Amino acid sequence: MIKIIWAILILAALGIIFGLGLSLASKYLYVKEDERIDEVAKLLPNANCGACGYPGCRGLAEAIVKGEEHKISKCKPGKPDKNFTPIINYLNEHPNEDGTKLDVKM
Amino acid sequence: MQYVVTFLLAIISSMLIDNVVLSRFYGICPFLGVSDKPKSALGMGLAVIFVIVLSTIICWPLFELLKLAEITFLDTVVYILVIASLVQLVGLFIKKYSPSLYKSLGIYLPLITTNCAVLGVVQGNSDMGLDFMSSLANGIGTSVGFLIVIFIFSCIRTRLQGPQTPKAFKGIPIALITAAIMALAFIGLSGMVN
Repeated sequence: MIKIIWAILILAALGIIFGLGLSLASKYLYVKEDERIDEVAKLLPNANCGACGYPGCRGLAEAIVKGEEHKISKCKPGKPDKNFTPIINYLNEHPNEDGTKLDVKM
Repeated sequence: MQYVVTFLLAIISSMLIDNVVLSRFYGICPFLGVSDKPKSALGMGLAVIFVIVLSTIICWPLFELLKLAEITFLDTVVYILVIASLVQLVGLFIKKYSPSLYKSLGIYLPLITTNCAVLGVVQGNSDMGLDFMSSLANGIGTSVGFLIVIFIFSCIRTRLQGPQTPKAFKGIPIALITAAIMALAFIGLSGMVN
């Protein structure tokens, strides 16, 4: 019985210590990213299937916002009215910092 | 003096003679995955050195703690916890200070968590019942051995990208043959330290 208590105590303590350390580190080592990446990632289906050839939906969102990917329909599970049109509208409303618009198509 | 010599010998032994990739066959996944460019191979090797040495230092006292509480059956869980947190930390650090390295390491950076070389070293230390300095020597030797081998391998692979490789052997097949010949070469080092 005492073993179980020790096991729970030690593992919980380690988890808390490492969790706190990591959350502090993620604040301290925070990298500023284009906030449009998060918005586009939210509008994708988030199936993380990888059919587009990028590592997960966030990878595709990053490529779209950085202007490396122009065809959104590479996302196979995405629906035109549910995912693609909102993304194109969003990106048209939020152009790059220098004012140019991203060239994205279905 | 005797102590220092033993320490250095232990490092060389686990670095060259019992090489982690070529004679213990740990960590093959990043060995083949990140070795196409010497620069990313070097970055991977350094990240692995950092993770292995730090996790050895952290896990040794933790194993003593588990021994005190008589719950050594939890060792693997605790080691994985330590390794995963350290890899996350390294990932954040590299993302902040070297975005290009972060990009070239790609998915293999978080995969250091499942690199069996890391768990293999830490678990081996506690299974063999090594003291702190021997564990440290084992950790340093193994990780530096990984760096050396992955760097040599990436240099050879860059040369092999030339047009003289037969079409059927291009890419991974010739890389696997190269790895096999390197393993043969490393057998020649066995028996150097008793």
